[in-house]
Formats: sequence, C-alpha cells, structure tokens
Amino acid sequence: MSKTLLVTGASRGIGLETATRFAMAEGDVDTVVMFARDSEDFTTAVAELKKSVPAGTTIIARTVDVGDLEALKTAAAEVLEEVGQIHLLVNNAGYTNPVPIQQVDQEDFERTMRVNLYAPFTLVQSLLNNGNTFDLIVNIASTAGINGRSGWLSYSASKAAVINMSQVMREELAIYGTRGGGLAPGRTATALRKVLAPDEDPSTIMQPQHVAEVIETLSSPMGRFIDSENIVVRL
Amino acid sequence: MYSLILLNGGVGTRIGANQPKQLLKLRGIPIIVYSLITADKIKDITQIVLNYPEGWRDEIEQVLKAYAISTPVTLVEAGTSRHTSVAKMISACENDDVIIHETARPLVAQEDFERLIASEFPNVALMTQIPFTVAPVAPGTSMITGSLNRARLRNVQLPQKFSKADLQSSHEKAAAQDLEYTEDATLVVDNGHEVHYIDGSDMNLKVTTPTDVRMAAFLLRPEEEIDE
Repeated sequence: MSKTLLVTGASRGIGLETATRFAMAEGDVDTVVMFARDSEDFTTAVAELKKSVPAGTTIIARTVDVGDLEALKTAAAEVLEEVGQIHLLVNNAGYTNPVPIQQVDQEDFERTMRVNLYAPFTLVQSLLNNGNTFDLIVNIASTAGINGRSGWLSYSASKAAVINMSQVMREELAIYGTRGGGLAPGRTATALRKVLAPDEDPSTIMQPQHVAEVIETLSSPMGRFIDSENIVVRL
Repeated sequence: MYSLILLNGGVGTRIGANQPKQLLKLRGIPIIVYSLITADKIKDITQIVLNYPEGWRDEIEQVLKAYAISTPVTLVEAGTSRHTSVAKMISACENDDVIIHETARPLVAQEDFERLIASEFPNVALMTQIPFTVAPVAPGTSMITGSLNRARLRNVQLPQKFSKADLQSSHEKAAAQDLEYTEDATLVVDNGHEVHYIDGSDMNLKVTTPTDVRMAAFLLRPEEEIDE
C-alpha cells in the first residue's frame, strides 16, 4: 500500500535524514512531503533527493515557516488536498536560543513555544479537522525536556510540553488506531545542537541518521511494541 | 447500503449530569464521538441520521465538524421518547435498509456492525446471553411470582438492522394502537415480521449510570495500562 510521510524541518539534520531514509527505502512510503523554511540548504537538499529517489517515489517540498501557524495550516490543507492522506507525520522542526533566565526575551520565548509546541499541535489538529487519520505521529522532543538544563529554559520548557502533549495525542488518537508519541533524542549532531553546544565536536555524538533509523523502526510493524512511552534515543 | 439511525436524544438524567450524556467525556472524548468514528469506518453505512436533544444542536454540529465525520449526517430533533425519536428518524433514512445504534454504547466495535451487515437476514439484532438469573415479580406486593428460563431469554443490545419497510410499518401500527416500545426488535416481531439474533459482545455495554461511565473508561484504557 502506498503511504505518505510528512516531515517538518526537513532541510537538514534529523528532518532531512528522516525524509531521505523513507524516500530511499523500499517500504510502503512512496510520497515524502518536506516542510522547511526557505533556504539554500532546503533547495539543495530537495534537488539532490529528487535526483536519487527510486522510480515511483514522489518528493513534495513546501517552503513554510512552521512558526507562522496560519501559513502552516494553509500548507497542511493544500498538501492534504494534493496527496489525499498523510499516514505518517514527523514533527521535527525545532528552534532554540539558549540564554540565562535574566535575559530571556518574551517574544523569543513565545517563538520557541510556537515552533516547538504549537506548530506540531496545529499541524495535527488542522489535518484531523480536515478529515485526515494518521497511522503514526512522531513528535521530536529532547532529553532536555525530561530534565531541565541550566541556560536552556525556553527550550527545555517547550520540549517538556512536547513530551506531555505527545502522551495525550497517543491516548486520544487511539480511537483512530493512530500510534506514536514523543521521541526524545539526546545529543545529536545537528545545527540546533551547535547553537546549544557550540564547542562540542559533532563527530563524537549521535548522528541525525541514527534518530531517523529509530523513526523508521517506529513506523515498522514492530514499532507498536515500543511506542507506549516517550522514547529516549541517545548514545 | 444502510442508513444508520444513531440515537442520541437522551438527557442523561440517570447519569446525573447537567448536559446530555453523549457530550459527557469518556477518557477526554465526548461519548458520542466513539460511535460516530466507528460508524464512519463502515463503507456500507452511507448516511447517519442523528437526533439531538432540544437546544443542543449547535454543540452536536461542533463535534461533527471538529471530528470531520465523512459520512453525510442528517440531524433530527429528538422526540419525546426513544420510541418516538426512532419513528421520526425513519422518515429521514434514504436507504432501504437501516441500522439502529445508540451513542450511549461507545464501545461498539467495527466488527459488531460488520457481522450484522453480513447476516443473510434483513432484520437482525445483536443480543447476549444472560449470565445471571432473573425472576418475575409483583413490585406492589414484593412477591416473586414464578420463574423464567434464562436459556430462552436474551439481553437486547444495539446495533440492530431492519428493512426500512418492516420497521416503518411496525411503528405505524404501534402509533395507531398508541403503543410505545423501549426497543425495536420486539416491536418488529410483535408486528408480524421475522427478526433473527446473533451473539453480541459483553464489551458493548450501555453507559447509563455513573458506574457504567467508570467501567467504560476502564475498558477503554490502553493495553499497557491493562498489563499493570
């Protein structure tokens, strides 16, 4: 059966690795929808992926800032119209600006919550309201959402909320047979990690493709044996 | 193809709520939603006729919109009793065969509808055996008046399916005699039509009392909680 995957934050890191992994695999997924902000990274990544995917696999790319919730709703409705059903959703787009408590800017805190928490919620809600039913939803959280970290107040708070929101989604959407929940990676070599830990050598930590592999496992039939809790993925 | 008469008109006096019990939440989801989502998955159901208690149409429409129920829904205001509601709703049914269900049975399974539809007979009710003893009594004198053979009795469940013509003529005859029934399988039998039964599931319980609400919520827990 042909299935469609939608990944946000798909221009690089975990989002791009996830889109690539599903697009290249010989599984059920034959349409991959990639959401990301307009950037050279995104244009290049999409062009390269389109060149290398097997025949019969479709890549649909949309430039959208998930922090713009109205634009996100519009993009979601348009893509749903185009593909018919989003079976798998990976809410991956993330934002952080780590600063001490004394220097947290209200507007920046709100942007963190919009991108990391409200955007995944808005995407799920608007697709449900448009009649979509999901097989699987994976919300990328963080181990920083399990334990707060000094200097990361807005990021840790947003990811803690993602973990709890994902539990609610898992419970409430079970009536549709939807599986999934939160996936909390530890240190992963992404651009976001570089903001959080600029001095760290990325080659010494977990790579985005490792997280993508776990997402692929979650989507497989055996995924239902491991999806009952927030999943921690770390070295 | 079938029209589903989905009874939703009760006001929940036994549950003790200040709103229709179908809008009460079970594990955070309005009770009405469980039956709607299950029925929405059945391809042979091409129309849902849903009644609503007077004054609650907006709330019901909001639920239908939010949950994006794809089967066309025809809304009918509830009658003064369950019996009169069914009578009103039959005329709104567009198909020659109808299924009757009630939103107060949120644990109905897709399979319950499918087994009913698969039956070769036009008039079929889901029923369960009675695993305990019931006795006839005279409430006025507190006397037991005899005995009943429970092997020849069944607990009447929903969903049930009927030929629309049989159901409609039975209701017309009952109205002519000023009779009201509490369910339709016995009404249709009493009016001269054959009604078969197939075994239902004890999971498909009717949520009537506060204890039922707690039991239904318990049965709807995820599997991992049941393990613990």
